[in-house]
Formats: sequence, structure tokens, C-alpha cells
Amino acid sequence: MGRMKELAGRLSALDPDAGAAVRVIAYFDTLADARAGLEALVRGAAVLAGCPARLVDAGRRAQVRVEPDGRRQDSDRAPDPAWPCAALEPGGIPALWLERDGSGERSVVDAVILERAAGALRVVLDRTRGRAPVSPADDPALVETVLDPTATERARLHAARRLGLDPDDPTTRARAFAPLGGRPGILSAPAGAGLPAGRVGVGPAVPLLGLPGSWEGARTALRFTAEGTAQDPGERVVHADDLGGLALLAQLIAPGSEPPPDVRDLERAAADSPWMLATLQAVASTASLRAAATGINVHHSTLQDRLAQAETLLGWPVRTPRGRLRLQLALTMRHLARG
Amino acid sequence: MAMIPPPFDPELAAALEALKDMLPQQLTMDDIVEARQGPGVQLLAQLDLTMGGFFEVEDRLVPGPEDAPEISLLICRPADPATPDPLPVIYHVHGGGMVVGNNRLGVDAPLAWARELGAVVVSVEYRLAPENPHPAPVEDVYAGLLWTAEHAAEIGGDAERIIIAGASAGGGLTAALALLTRDRKGPRPIGQVLLCPMLDDRNDTPSVHQMAGRGVWDRTANETGWTALLGAARGGPDVSEYAAASRATDLSGLPPAFLDVGSAETFRDEVVEYASRLWQAGGVAELHVWPGGFHGFDGFAPQAAVSRECRGAQVRWLRRLLGE
Repeated sequence: MGRMKELAGRLSALDPDAGAAVRVIAYFDTLADARAGLEALVRGAAVLAGCPARLVDAGRRAQVRVEPDGRRQDSDRAPDPAWPCAALEPGGIPALWLERDGSGERSVVDAVILERAAGALRVVLDRTRGRAPVSPADDPALVETVLDPTATERARLHAARRLGLDPDDPTTRARAFAPLGGRPGILSAPAGAGLPAGRVGVGPAVPLLGLPGSWEGARTALRFTAEGTAQDPGERVVHADDLGGLALLAQLIAPGSEPPPDVRDLERAAADSPWMLATLQAVASTASLRAAATGINVHHSTLQDRLAQAETLLGWPVRTPRGRLRLQLALTMRHLARG
Repeated sequence: MAMIPPPFDPELAAALEALKDMLPQQLTMDDIVEARQGPGVQLLAQLDLTMGGFFEVEDRLVPGPEDAPEISLLICRPADPATPDPLPVIYHVHGGGMVVGNNRLGVDAPLAWARELGAVVVSVEYRLAPENPHPAPVEDVYAGLLWTAEHAAEIGGDAERIIIAGASAGGGLTAALALLTRDRKGPRPIGQVLLCPMLDDRNDTPSVHQMAGRGVWDRTANETGWTALLGAARGGPDVSEYAAASRATDLSGLPPAFLDVGSAETFRDEVVEYASRLWQAGGVAELHVWPGGFHGFDGFAPQAAVSRECRGAQVRWLRRLLGE
């Protein structure tokens, strides 16, 4: 019957509803059944999402970027950490991105596209390029050597070279990072991508021989992180560079030590209402009470009521400049005092 | 005879799966009215014929065949042409199985060529079967070409550089138009572009049987389209070559042809055969058989790698034909 694409509607015009999700799943299932290659899968993600899509698997030297009109167009620009992304393996680093401004609400269809495409890409990569090799950057012995201040400089520089870092270039900078419960890692600076999911402390960017210090900074920064949930509000990724004088607090409060009185006040208030910690975190971390109310989705007057209740329980104000500082410190010390 | 069909290209298979509820497959006579009023009418109206302001767009009523109603031509000419000289003209005949569609259907392909090449596009509206059986459609198409050749200067076109083009039923009508202009000593197009053309009313090649019930526009739909055009004469001994170009016994003296078709579609074998017969008659033809392509794949899934290759080949041929 001919070119009835106008009659049929284009793939790129899929409605963002449940029907679209079903079609996305069918689309990638069919590609997988037909043993489609990497480019076809990345193109599928780009076409269905209506924005460029990018695969980067450094370990297996796979890099594919496709425009929404289907054109292959690789790019040297680093992926933007705000783009919706997915890892190929559970808990792995991001490998597939939809190059879409990530400031808005993440859509269900995007999530389905990423999940399905990543799953299909993993199968193709395993089939065509072997299981993910332990890339040098993941080799624990090499990373350990570079981060060990007691190892000789020669050994550390040798290990750094094997990790893909160039000790001969005086401008080379790298930073160590410390994931909660995971192995230490090293990123060449200033690349922003490549951090594992979950709570991570990131050390300062330093010349290669300074990496043991960056690692120390990363572990300190990790202590300032939180799960980002209602019961443990705060940032999941903390950079040592951003801490400034707050880092000194970490020396004063040992993990698992007796919490200071202000932290005990906080715990008492938290036990009173499930919204307490998230509300106080919002007040401590936003520029105005109005912004805090918006951030946690309550009316301004509701926030005022909650804060009055919090101040009664805490026994000190949180809406004065001094009280706000005290609250910020108490929330921070609460993280530091954890075991 | 084993009827194992060629597999669809992976990307096209995925697109087909996603679009299957919206694609025509086993069209019957009872479905024609509904197909004409499908969801696409709205989408067609939304099509930006100016291609972002590149073209000036005009609908013009011109004389039809003798004792027949006027016909409507969609005329798209570059608003700001690179040269003051007359431009090549792409005369487009839309698809739709001889039974549905209008002169907007599929016109985005020739518009995209014309934007690259700096050409005028004229897309003809013709009367549809079964209300208007053969020869109404092809005579309307011929009348539109006559007007275009005689009034080329008026629309910024060059009567000496008219290329006729169409997809599916439009491709079949384009092939028939080439035969008709040859035999009536009418306007002489410099090229004919036959995209997955519908050429053979007999509906009985191996690919017809192989693809029955699969992909887009299968054997049942094809029978519906041809029967609408020809009635009881379909497949019999008395079908005119101006209805079904495959029926022509003499394919000499025709303009250079570009033909393309998918390997996984009903029309594959009749298109390959038509190209072979053009060469056997001493003609000039370029044939592309795109592996794993279903009928109209490049329009339905334009982003797929094979679709991009297919569209690229069309433009490259036109560029060579026009000596650019």
C-alpha cells in the first residue's frame, strides 16, 4: 500500500503512556531475537526516546552514539551526569545515556528504554566481545598500590601507568573515590562520569603521587554522605573539595562515638514524626523556607507548623541564622557519628 | 515448493512489531472506506509541506482528461532558489494501493530530494478505484503531466528536465505513465523513479506467495487493490499495460529507470523481473533490492540503517541523472 507512514504514525511519535512502554519492550525484544548489533540497539534507544543515545563501554572498547534521526555520530564530549543513564550490569558504572536534559521528572518510558536497551546491549557485548574484562582501572592490586603512601614512588607511578594514567605528563590529575562497602577507585580528572551508584565520597583532583591524600579525602567525604531517603536525608555523593572547614568536624567525631547532645536532640525529634529529618534537612540545605516547602512538597504554613514543633522538641530555634547553622552542624555530626 | 520467507532486517522487524496495529496488511474490499478515513488523514494535514520554509506551496486545479473532472496538483517550489534558471521538476504520483490516499501521501520523500537538488515538486491527485476503475487513475496522472510540461515555465520548472516518480501504486502508475508518454508521443520525462512499484495484477510470483500474511501489503491486499482497479478482468488475458506495466511486451524506448524494493515483500519478484526486462530491451536501469525490507520500509522506519542507505541511493541516482 506504500508510504503510509503518515497514516501509521512514526515510531518517534509514540505516546508517553503505558502502551508506549509495551511497544518499547516489544521493539527491543524483536531486535534481540533478530540478533541485532550494537548500533541498531543504540539507534533503537535514540529513535524511541527522540534524543541522541550513547553507549560507552571503555573496558570492551565499545563507543556508539546515534542521533534521533538514525545517524551515527560519535562524540568526544564527556557524558553529562544529569542525563538519564543505565549500567549494563547491576551495580556497574553507567554505560548507556539518553542525552536529555535531566532536570525534569524522569519519565517511565525513558526508564523502560534504558533498561531494555542496556539488557540487550549486555547480551550482544558478551556474545561479540567476551565477558567484561577486568579493565586495569578495576584491578584492585594496582589501585591499592597507587593509593598506598608507604609504597615506593616508583611502584606507584608504575601502577598508575598500568591504570591508563600518564605520569610523564605534568598536567595529569586524578582523584580517588570511596564507595560505601565497595572497592576504592580512581578517576582521571576532570571526567565527571564513572562513579558507581550509591553513597560515594570523592577525593580532590591531585597529581598522581598525591593520590594517597586524595584517597584519604575521599574516605572523609564518604562519612558526610547519606542514603538520600526520608530516614537518612542528605547527599549520596560528596566531594572533599566542597567540604572546606566542615572536614575538620570529621576529626572531632569518631565513627560510632557517643553522639554530641545536639545529635541526641535530633534523634529524639526524629522519633516523634516520620517527616522530621527530611523537613529539617530541607530547611538546612535550601536558600529559603519557601524553597524548602516546595522541595518537600508542603504548604508554607505547614512547614511553619512543623518547624515550631521541631523547635519545641529540640529545645533550640532553627529559623534564626545561628539556629540554622546549629541545625546544619547537628545534621552533619549525625552522619559522622554513625558507626 | 517450500515457502520460507527471507527474514526481516532486525531493525525493520522491530519497527514492524511496534507499528503492526497501524499498518495495512490484509486489506479487503470491505476495509477500503475505513482505510481512507484512518487516523492518518489528520497526520497528513499536519505535514509541513514547506519543509521549514524551503518551499512555497500551492494547490492548483488543472484540466483533467477529456470529459473528466479537473484534477488537483500540489505544487511545491523553492522559495529562494539558488539559480534564476528553470529548475528540474519531480512529478510525483502517490501510493495507496490504487484505492486510498491523496497527493500529500508520501510526498515527503520527493520533497526531501528536491530540497537537496533544488527542484520543483508537482504531486498529482488522481481518482481512486473502485469508484473510478482503470483507466481513470492513469489518465488523470497523464493529464497532470501534460499540464506540468506545458506550464513548466509558469512554476519555475524546466520542461526538458521532468522526472516522474512514485511509490507502490504510485510506482506502478509511474511505470505506466512512462509507457503512455512513449506511445502517445507525449512529454518525455528524463527519468522514472519506481519505488517498490505495484506492477503486476496477476499476483502470482514466488514472492507473492512467500510473503502471504506477512509484513505490509500482502497477497490479499494486493488482490483487493488490483480487483478494485480492474474488476473481473484482473489476472485475465485482457489487462492493459497502462494499468499493469508488467503486461507490456515492449519495454524499449523508455527513460532511464531507478527501481528499489525490499527482499521481504510481495513485489520483490515483479520488480526484479521488470528491471531485467528493461535491460533486455536495451534500456538503462538501476535496481536496488534491500535485504530484509518490507513494503515501504524506508517510509515507515526512516531511521533504520537500511532505510538511510535506501534513501541515500535514491538521491545519489537523481544527482547523477541531473549531472550535478
